[in-house]
Parts: sequence; structure tokens; C-alpha cells
Amino acid sequence: MLRLLWVGWVMHMKMLTRSAFNFWLGIVYPLFFATAAFFMFQSGDDPKPLLYASLGAAVMGIWGATSTAAGAALARERWTGTLELLVTAPAHFALILLPVTIAMATIGIYSMISTLVWGRLVFGIELEVGDPLAFVLAVPATVVSIGALGFLLAVAFVRFRQAWALGNMLEYPVWLVSGFLVPLTLFPDWVRPISWALAPTWGISAIRGAALGGSPYGDIALALSLGAGYTLAGILLLERALRTARVKASLSLS
Amino acid sequence: MNVVEAVDLRRTYKTTTGTIRRRSLEVEAVRGISFAIAEGELFGLLGPNGAGKTTTIKMLITLLIPTSGEARVLGHDVVEDARWVRERIGYVFGGDRGLYERLSAMDNLRYFAELYGVEPKGQRARIDELLELVGLKGREKERVEGYSRGMRQRLHIARGLLHDPPVVFLDEPTIGVDPVGARELRATIASLTASGKTVLLTTHYMFEADALCDRIAVIANGEIVAQGTPQELKAGVADGSVVEVEVFGVEERSVERLRQLAGVRAVTVEDQEQKQLLIVQTAPGLELTHAILSQLDGASVGRVSSREPTLEDAYVALVTAA
Amino acid sequence: MSNTAPESRVPRGVRGGAGAWLRRAGGAAGQGRVGVRVFFVGGLISYRALFGWLSPWVFIPSLLVAPVFQILLFVYIGRSAALESDEFYVIGNGLQYASIPCVFAMTNIIAGERFQQTLGSILITPAPRLPLFVGRALPVVLNGFFVAAFGLVVGGLIVGIDVPASAYGPLALVTAVSALSCTGLGLLSAGLGLIVRETAVLSNVIFGILLVCTGANVPLDALPGWLSTAAQGLPFTHGIEAARLLADGAAFGEVARLVGSEGLIGIVYATAGYLLIRVLELHSRKHATLERA
Repeated sequence: MLRLLWVGWVMHMKMLTRSAFNFWLGIVYPLFFATAAFFMFQSGDDPKPLLYASLGAAVMGIWGATSTAAGAALARERWTGTLELLVTAPAHFALILLPVTIAMATIGIYSMISTLVWGRLVFGIELEVGDPLAFVLAVPATVVSIGALGFLLAVAFVRFRQAWALGNMLEYPVWLVSGFLVPLTLFPDWVRPISWALAPTWGISAIRGAALGGSPYGDIALALSLGAGYTLAGILLLERALRTARVKASLSLS
Repeated sequence: MNVVEAVDLRRTYKTTTGTIRRRSLEVEAVRGISFAIAEGELFGLLGPNGAGKTTTIKMLITLLIPTSGEARVLGHDVVEDARWVRERIGYVFGGDRGLYERLSAMDNLRYFAELYGVEPKGQRARIDELLELVGLKGREKERVEGYSRGMRQRLHIARGLLHDPPVVFLDEPTIGVDPVGARELRATIASLTASGKTVLLTTHYMFEADALCDRIAVIANGEIVAQGTPQELKAGVADGSVVEVEVFGVEERSVERLRQLAGVRAVTVEDQEQKQLLIVQTAPGLELTHAILSQLDGASVGRVSSREPTLEDAYVALVTAA
Repeated sequence: MSNTAPESRVPRGVRGGAGAWLRRAGGAAGQGRVGVRVFFVGGLISYRALFGWLSPWVFIPSLLVAPVFQILLFVYIGRSAALESDEFYVIGNGLQYASIPCVFAMTNIIAGERFQQTLGSILITPAPRLPLFVGRALPVVLNGFFVAAFGLVVGGLIVGIDVPASAYGPLALVTAVSALSCTGLGLLSAGLGLIVRETAVLSNVIFGILLVCTGANVPLDALPGWLSTAAQGLPFTHGIEAARLLADGAAFGEVARLVGSEGLIGIVYATAGYLLIRVLELHSRKHATLERA
């Protein structure tokens, strides 16, 4: 089972990095948002928000790549007719789907690095990682948990033909309520539980903790357990979704 | 008067190969083609894939400018008078692409009716008539994405006829359509000339050309290798005969030796499940069956028969000789 | 094999003679009528044919929900660092988000012909080219206007912005001119989309440039000098500035110049886009470049 996950991840990484579309858009698109945010925080008087935002902007790309691509990739599989093949493969479909979304989240690491480099070169944001070990743990934990969230969404997407649009729609709200760029304390109280239920909230908190000082390990554990929760929920939902899809014949286009 | 005229048409494409060291390559798709189609004639352009049929049509319908040579439709030059020509020609694609998938057949037709300047008042009636003609009446409100190949092909035909053009170009209109559907399409095509339209049809189905065309030009490697009525083309090989041999596992060596045999004009091999069918065209007055069998190196031989040549044999002989 | 069709029977729909149905209206007036119909009727049909976002499953999330969250995202960034007013971001992002329908739709509607393989069929029609291509822009402008107006109104209500009632009319006009201006850029992007394969990357990059450089979120004086100079040539820059002034109570006369510049920029882009498409059409006839990528 682990082998299947690994092989799937490697294969999708290859496919994604070879597509100019995913690769360049994955890197360039978040840079525009980061640039806008950097210009904005730069014009403020306090240098701390800029440092705070640079890490957030860097992680935005991980979620951006996952949310927009999760729907699009399944739409492509559906278009080329391979979705039906994958569903009928003997391996559990979850094992096929999960590496796809984790690979997409991994692509986001490129954008994370490019955003940090961009911030350093163009805006002179100097980031010193306080706790390198925690940082090295926090980044993959964030990637995997965001990938798992993408998996849960992709499961929901299997039933919708225009899934890519729903994926696009979720890009901004998660950026916003996970506190990538602004502290959670600014939001109304009723938003808090939503933030807490989102693994990216704990992921970015862990990364910030590791870099800027704090206690990242609790956040890492929370992100990972939420990721495990998404995966479990996704598998259960998938069972039902596939059954419905077979009844309604909504997997293929023709 | 000749409705369509092509005089020494040539077309080369520049292609580039290689990503790092880009090399420019000139490909001659059409190398000096001449023919003329009279009014009301159904003219067939016959040839294998990549022979230059579609390029030739694209030059005639104003989509491509010839590298050299001239083409005229109804006496007007297709390069100089492109717009005049466009108003008077219809073009029907082969294959199932080239339609607006999200629109219904009705909307596809309405759109092109506007582009061809069909009088708004008569549009509805005209579209109805065409839907009836191609047998899509009753399905016209459905989106094209749900159409079968045959239905798409029929919609292509209706679209090509919207402005009632006197000249119609059909590019492999029956490709990929099931036999019954193809038969209906052929009936529609035949009815076009019956009403006085001039038609140019490309196809690589021999029987289709035989059944429909008044005259045929066989095109291979960008050149016309023969031109005439189906009867005339058949006559080119009619004096010979055809020997068909079923073999189990024939070697390329043996086929090559057969081709060298005196009196053999052409040899083709058709793969059929676990056996092959050798089709050997021979010159007249020779009894070569024994000589043919002796070249097969003891490969296991099945049924052997001899028959009169068909248009397909004529075509194979022409194309393989080119 | 014999002919499968009985020669004697000519079915309905196939007529004799040359172009019995072809419009006989000759002269400039007749051509003009054809052009007008191609512009309006043809433009609308091709919009439905080639813009795949009209399904509510795409339209609502991508064009109604997303812009509101873009507004909220930047409003909160502004609040967190105590930068500009909420109104600044509502207007900036509300208008700038019109670039999604304007640029994406315009690019899809023209460059999409290539993917549907319908470009050849279009190019062999005698239809006049100006209304054929530019007529497709009208529904795009209307859609862009609607999306921007929705974002402004809903974003404004959620965040709580006070705009004098007398400014509603002028604001609507500025929104429409901005949508027109961006659609002009969309037409240029459509021309480029006929050359490059990845039209989605192109459209996204244009969106990103507009996000950063038009003053939607970053005040122009906070940008490097060369960038704020370049921003003067982009759609939205003048429109956003005009809209902010109007919302703060300026009279229309005070922003008329800005609105004029905004419109003019759009017309320049549209002209460039149209000329590019025409050049590509002629080039394609010579070099077979447009069909079958």
C-alpha cells in the first residue's frame, strides 16, 4: 500500500513538473499575490508584518496549487477517459487519488521557495530560521496535510463536472481564514472554529513558529492529525460517491 | 465552363524540427496539380493519407494561398477574389470535430447562417429544410456534444449548404461513420449533383469514389498520377488479372521476390487474423499462379483464387507505382 | 456498385442555381446590415459557444463568490497593517476582478476556435471580419460589468461602505468603461492566444499584473517609479482612481478626464488586438499557421 502511494506520488510529480502549465503557473501565480502583499506591508511602518507575511505568502502557493489543480486534474482524467480506468482498477481508488493531491501540494514547495527567494532579492526580506529541525518537519507536515485536504475536496469533485471552478473558489477563503497573511484575531468570533478545522491554519502556524520562534511541535501534530482525519473522511465519502457515480453514470463525458 | 480549375498548384510547408538546434525543413505537400471540374460534375480526389488531398482543398476554399500556380472557382481567382469565392462555396469537413460542442445543432446552423449573410427572414425555413435533408429534424435542440459521429457529419453537411452554394467541397465526409450512416450520406451527396451543384469529394474509399464520382483524379505524394472516369481507370488494369493467395506467415523476403517476378505489376499484403492475403496484380495473358506459389518458400498456403481487377486494384497499382 | 441515390428525386434543401438564399442586398447598405447582424447576433451566439463559464456551477463560484473573497482578503490585509481604508480595497479589487471575465472570456472566445477546430470554418466564410471578431467583445463587456458591479455592491455591503447615492450613476459608468477597457486588452490577449498554446497561463499572468500594478491594492506611489509609469498604460488604473474619487464625493466632471483615458486605453488595446488577429489570419493563409495546432 505504501509502495502504491509512493509510486503514484513519483509518477504525478513527473507529470506535473513536465507540464509547463502547472509548473510555471504554480510558481508565477502565487508570486503576484506575494508581490502585492509585500508592496502593501512594505508601505506600512512596522517591519514585523512583512516578515510574518513572507512566510504566509510562501505557503499560499501550496494551497493554491492544491485547490485549483485538484479539480482540474480530475476533469482532465475524465476528459481523456482515464477516470473510468482508474475507478475500475483493482487498487482502492483512494490510494490512486491521494498521491495525486499530495503531489500537487508538493509542487507548492517550488512556489514556497521561489516566493522566499523573491522576497529576499526584490524586497530584501531577510528570514532567519530559528529552529531548522522544526522547520524541516513543519514544511512536509504542512504539505501532506494540505494534500489530504485537497484529497477530501477532490472526492467531492468526483461528482461534479465543473469541479475546477469549485476548487478555484476555495483558494481565497482558505488563504484568508487560515491566517496566511493576517492574524486570526482580526476575524469575527464565528470564524475561529472554521480556522481551527483547517489544517493549513496549523501548518502555517508551525512554520512560523519554527522560523520566528515559538513552539511548533504541537501545531505540527495538529496539522498531521487533521490531515489523517481528512483522509479518513475522504475514503468514507469516496465509497459513497463512487456508488452514486456508477448509478448515475456521471464519471465519463460521453 | 469549368467551375473549378486548378493549374499547376503547388504548396510547400515550412516545418521546424528539434527543440535545441532548430532546423527548418521544407515539405512539398502538393507538387503541381492541375485539373478542371465542369458544372454539375461530381469530381473525386482519391489518395492515401498525406497525399495532399486536404492541402489541395484548402487552397481551393481560400484557406491557404498556393506557393505557386493558380486556382479559380467560377472563373474567379481564389487568392485575389477570396471573398467573392467564399460566398459561393460550401465546405464540409470530415471527422467529428469542428463544431461548437456546447451549442445545439440549431444554434450552430444559425451562427453560420449569419456569417454567410443568409437573409434573416428566410433563415428559419432554410435551416428547417436542411435539418430535414440531413435527417436531424427532431434532434436540433440537443447539444452537439451528445451527438454521434454520423450525426455530426450530417450537421457538417447541413452547415456547408446553408447559403445554397453552387460549388461544394467535401473532405472525407464519410470517415468513421457506420456503414448504414455512410450509405445515407452518399445518397445525400449524390443528390447534390442531381440538383445541379458542382461537387469535389475527397475520399480514400474506392467503392465510394466508384459509386459517386463522374471523374476521379488519383493523387499520391502530392501529384496526380491518373485522371479519368472510374471506367477509364479500371481499364488501365483491366487487361490484367489478380491472383489472391491466402498464406500463413509469409516473409517479407518472399514478397520482395514476387515483386521482381516478370509480369507482376503490384503486390499488396493484407493482414487477416492469423493469416495474410497476398494480392498480386499481373500483366494480361500470363498464367503466373504456379510461379507465384513457387516463390513462397513452402509457407503454408490456403485458398488461391484469380479474379477480374477492381477500381481498388487500379488505385493500388497507381499509388504503389508513384 | 451502383449509385445509391435515385437521380430523379431532388430532396428538399438542395436547390439548383447559384446562391438562391444568398442575400442579394448589394452595395454598402446590404453589407452593413450583414455586418450589424454578425456583430450582435453572431457575437452573442459565439459567446455562448465558446465561453464555458456560463453554467451556474462555474459562474457563481468563479465570478460571483471568488471576487467577494478577493475583496475580503485585501481588506483584511489592509486592516492588519493599518494601511488604506476598506473602501480603497473594495473598489480596487471589485473593478480589477472584472479582468477575469474580460480577459479569460475574450481569449477563450477567439483562441478557443483553435481548440474546437472551428477556426477554418470561420475563416472561409465571407463574413466581414471587424464585426465577426469585435462583435464577440460586446457580451464580454456586459459580463465584465455585471461581475464588477456585483463585487462592488456585495463587497461594499459586507464590509460596510458608505457611498453617496449621487455617485451610483457615475460609478456604474466608470465600471462599464473599465470593463470595456479591459476587454480591449482581452482582445489583444486573444490575438496572442492564437500564437501561444497555453492561453490559460497568458490570461493568469495578465490577471496577476493587473492585480499588482493598477493601484487596485498597492497605491501607485508605493510602486517603483517605472512600474507606476507603466501602470498608466494598463486598463483599470484610471478607472479605479476615478471610482475612488467618485465614492469620496467628487463630481463626475472632476473625473471625466480619467474616465476618458480609461476608455482610450481600451480602444488602443482593442485596435492592436484586432490588427494582430487580422495579420495572423493573412499570415495563416500563407504559412498554414493557425489550424490544427
